[in-house]
Amino acid sequence: MDRRKFLSFSAMTALVVPAGLSAIDFRATKPATWTAKKVEDSIKALYGDVKLVESDVKVKVPKVASSGGAVPVTIKSGIDAKSVAIFQDMNPESTVCVFTLNENSVIDYSMKIKLKATDTNGGNGTVTAVVEGKDGKFYVGKQSLNVAQGGCEG
Amino acid sequence: MAKIKIKAKLKGDVITAKVMIPHAMLTYDQAKSKGVEANFITHITGMVGDKVVYELSTSQFLSKNPTLKFKFKNAKKGEELTINTVDLSGAKQTAKKKIK
Repeated sequence: MDRRKFLSFSAMTALVVPAGLSAIDFRATKPATWTAKKVEDSIKALYGDVKLVESDVKVKVPKVASSGGAVPVTIKSGIDAKSVAIFQDMNPESTVCVFTLNENSVIDYSMKIKLKATDTNGGNGTVTAVVEGKDGKFYVGKQSLNVAQGGCEG
Repeated sequence: MAKIKIKAKLKGDVITAKVMIPHAMLTYDQAKSKGVEANFITHITGMVGDKVVYELSTSQFLSKNPTLKFKFKNAKKGEELTINTVDLSGAKQTAKKKIK
């Protein structure tokens, strides 16, 4: 229940963001994305019931990550896109982040994320990237990996 | 709080930028075990002048002191890249650096 309060709070916070920023703050416009636990539910909350095409989306992660607290992830794609969303199936909620793109964007993003190795997933998981193309199609790329120790415990 | 670190370099017509944002990025789980409120960056933008070149909404799952690397185009050497962040508590951070 507390989580919902935090999310509506962040929706209000988003309105404080200066008017100079162009596009979309997905936390404000699609709050359900951030609470969805399964990757399919997050994709549905963000983009709707869309068909995913596996093409031209490269997700790079180390096959074995030594620390779950900082796993390097790189997303690359040549698709003319509106947004890119990154999900994973190891943490309590599956959405990691959503990029908004425009004519200045080049899809080549790297970041370090937390992945939780639990007894249930045995440290195995998949990072999924969905690219919302300007042609209205949705492209997907995934990569599986193994994490040596838990990340969310900090 | 320490400052955001930015590096931006132009090669050909693409700029590669590296950004390090100091932030504890506490997940709900971590915050509970420490007995504090969860707090993490929720939105980040990179701008050159009034053009947005990088924008993302993020979750509790970016690592502590997130390092982000990204590319963009349509900007020149000497122009300034400004990074703005907002976190769950509403606190903002900003920094800027000239593209080399």
